[in-house]
Amino acid sequence: MSTPTHDPHSGDRPDRGTGTANPDPTNPATVDMDEPPAGGSFTRYFLRKLGGAATSMVLVIVLGFFAFRMLPGDPVLKIAKERPMSPAQIAELRSQYGLDKPVIVQFWDYLVGIVTGDLGESYVYRKSVSSLIGEYLGPTLLLTATAAVIAIVLGLWLGQISAWRRNSLFDKIASSTSLIFWSVPTFWLGLILLMIFGGTLQWLPTGGMITPGLDPWSPAGIIDVIKHLILPVISLVAVVYAQFLMIMRASLLEEMSEDYLTTARAKGLTEDEVRRRHAVPNALLPTVTVVFLHLGGLIAGAVTVEAVFSWPGLGKLTFEAIRGPDLPLLQGTFVVFSAIIIVMNLAADIVYRFLDPRVRRA
Amino acid sequence: MFTSHSLRRGWQRCLAGVAALALAGSMAASPAQAATSPAPASDNVLRIATDGFIDSFNPFTSFYLVPTNTFRYMYENLVANDAKDGSITEGLATEWNTDSEGKVWTYTIRPDMKWSDGEPLTSKDVAWTYNQMMEKEEMAVANGSLVENFDKVETPDDGTVKITLKKPQANNPGQEIPVVPEHVWSKIDKPGEFKNDEKSVGSGPFQLESYEANKSITLKANPNFWRGKPKLDEIQYRYYTNSDAQVQAIRSGEVDFITGLSPDQFTALENADNVELNDGNGRRFNGISINPGVADAKGKEFGTGHEALKDKKVRQAIRAGIDTETLRKQVMQDYAQPATSFIPAVYPDWALKSDNSVISGFDVDRAKKLLDDAGWKEGSGGIREKDGEKLQLRFLTDADAPIEQSTAKFIKPWMKDIGIDLKNESSDVDTVSERTTKGDYDMYFSGWSINPDPDYQLSINTCGQRPDADGNGGTSQDGWCNKEFDKLYKAQHVELDKAKRQDLVQKALAIHYEEAPSVTLWYPNQLEAYRSDRFDNFTKQPSDGGAIANQVGYWGYSSVEPASEEEATGGGMGAGGWIGIAAAVIVVLGGGGWLLSRRKKSDDRE
Repeated sequence: MSTPTHDPHSGDRPDRGTGTANPDPTNPATVDMDEPPAGGSFTRYFLRKLGGAATSMVLVIVLGFFAFRMLPGDPVLKIAKERPMSPAQIAELRSQYGLDKPVIVQFWDYLVGIVTGDLGESYVYRKSVSSLIGEYLGPTLLLTATAAVIAIVLGLWLGQISAWRRNSLFDKIASSTSLIFWSVPTFWLGLILLMIFGGTLQWLPTGGMITPGLDPWSPAGIIDVIKHLILPVISLVAVVYAQFLMIMRASLLEEMSEDYLTTARAKGLTEDEVRRRHAVPNALLPTVTVVFLHLGGLIAGAVTVEAVFSWPGLGKLTFEAIRGPDLPLLQGTFVVFSAIIIVMNLAADIVYRFLDPRVRRA
Repeated sequence: MFTSHSLRRGWQRCLAGVAALALAGSMAASPAQAATSPAPASDNVLRIATDGFIDSFNPFTSFYLVPTNTFRYMYENLVANDAKDGSITEGLATEWNTDSEGKVWTYTIRPDMKWSDGEPLTSKDVAWTYNQMMEKEEMAVANGSLVENFDKVETPDDGTVKITLKKPQANNPGQEIPVVPEHVWSKIDKPGEFKNDEKSVGSGPFQLESYEANKSITLKANPNFWRGKPKLDEIQYRYYTNSDAQVQAIRSGEVDFITGLSPDQFTALENADNVELNDGNGRRFNGISINPGVADAKGKEFGTGHEALKDKKVRQAIRAGIDTETLRKQVMQDYAQPATSFIPAVYPDWALKSDNSVISGFDVDRAKKLLDDAGWKEGSGGIREKDGEKLQLRFLTDADAPIEQSTAKFIKPWMKDIGIDLKNESSDVDTVSERTTKGDYDMYFSGWSINPDPDYQLSINTCGQRPDADGNGGTSQDGWCNKEFDKLYKAQHVELDKAKRQDLVQKALAIHYEEAPSVTLWYPNQLEAYRSDRFDNFTKQPSDGGAIANQVGYWGYSSVEPASEEEATGGGMGAGGWIGIAAAVIVVLGGGGWLLSRRKKSDDRE
């Protein structure tokens, strides 16, 4: 079983392109102040970022094709393993999968397909890859979006309290707990939750998204889906909320040493007002960027959580595709996952510029 | 400095975006099609956990494990393999006979049979099914090899099917080919692409009612099944991605039956309430395949196998140096049967008898003597040498298979004891598969599932079935070739007298044993569990100590009936679950509230 584990440090940092230094979202001190104050600067910045994203996408598309073809083993022989199959049957399968064509022709078909929005047909499901991804995207969105909202809210909330009361007992407990959860393997945590709440206590279902036979839009169905959601969401939140907590804590600490807070206090604002109206909004700047970056990363965590909780989403689909190996489906999920992360990175860059007036010079 | 409210606006917009995303996700999460099946009306539904791959339920094209097992319940064959020991028994045909050489097979179809939709089932349906497979490549994808030897199929009348073969054979040709209703399939535009995944029409005990990919498969009892309507109303397969989750699901009562447990999982369930375990003798073998100098069907050699292994004395020495009994008890924790050759003990008619004179056990001294005789003399460090070359061998295993890794750990020191330096090369399963195809190995861990008739497995040990280095051509169990074995294979292939055929098969297996192109380690048991508070009366194959799932037939679930003393199963959610939900809601609402509570004030004078 090899499922990707969440790696909070994996390639989801903004690209350090050439030219001016980019803002490091985790460090407010390095905010990019070199942009000329011209009105067109944002357009230039935007185009540069867009170019970077487009380059990444092209690389992903090329890599997506060749990487999976470099995998050892022949999909057809793997399928035929331990089965009474005549050479004619094997040849028939090969031509059905288009594997009898030269690789360069297969690559061309794939490129044409991508441009026209056709990701080919899955070997196994015998359906178009686009329609399969469409079908499985919903459950993944439900899981990741729910987890993202909870993790962000929980992380930011705990993070700002931790910073404000730094070195208090609350701070120590909140920070260390979050880091412990961040360090445990997703797979392990999921299984433990599954054993305790599913197998032993029998409070919650052990897998799937809905009890077969229920209408998901009926009241009973909605409650059933919520029940199925609880454990996977908890697993996903537990392993990601620490990064939101930590970034919030760090950037708020950064702000707390600033002079303007002293000014605010001198104006007679209450401590609470100083925190809520001056410190936290400024601290949110780098935080928002990081949040966006990590939304893409959540998808990787979702693959693992889906595998543990038999959640019928894109992660499960990818897992099945690897087992096949179902080349068109692998290519398709790879390109889609990568595209999501690239778009999220781009969004993080844009949002940052948009949010931070110091950068915008508005 | 800048005002905080412009900032906050941006921040709130972001939050709104995330919320919108969440909402979109929940909207999109509805299944692609509306729920087709109503909630099970009765408690009489056997829920089975599965993780099987499904392309379609088209018996002409699908060959994955779950669909194949489902076809066995959906479609009756001309003849079936019985529960007792897998021998041939009635299916659609009540009797069958063959001409003196085994070339023309005539079957008498049971009169007054009906498909599940009430239409009559006749010999015409059988002939139509077989002819589709014989005439159209796209209809032969799954089972083409089973009709390869068919010359023509005729129906002298509605109650008779006559199969004329190209070459005589002793193995009944009416097995394992699902017969479909002509009145349904002949109307389908492209039958090779038909998914057949709802409301199937068949003749077996259960019919496919609905299928939701990666969620569930629902089968309904067929009232027209010729052996009588099953006692279960429905079978429902539920998807679980990993076997640990399946174990928890049987503990919690969410499913009623699971199979394919590891020894550890099986042991862990020993004390579970209302869970009955079945340690069933399986129809697989595991072994170590030794590269005897692989070559294609024309004898052209390829691969990187060690020269020493071409000498059968060295291969025999490897077998004599392996303590299979210790392996079976330690690695398989006793959940496996002692093995002789590649036909498992569940087929007592064919398996190589353990008292056969050719069989030799674990014997280090004998192993050493064999190596001495082969010219491999003990050298420095106890490793044997010949012409200055050390006897170093590679053992290829799947890195993700604990059983293979443990086996390698045991065997390495045993090989050192007899003077062979064994290097364990573990890799991913695809690499293993690629290297074995290319002959790039000395030894590897292998395994096969065996059907009731030994003909196929024997055939893939013949010279003509050896594929080339690209995997084209036939299929070969060990890449081995032996003229004597081939003669015996051909003789048993056409021997209609069962006793004589058994004798020929024993001789062939004895040659394979003596030549040692592979060492059969054990026949693994299939470890299963079911909820005894909900169901009982599962049928095993073989009926004495066999397995319930993955049978060659439809016996396992057809006899199942609800347990006499029904106990309530824990399906609901206790208070704790609701507290959890409430907590989650509070966290979300509280967090949201905190963010929204910061009312806008405009007294920033900076």
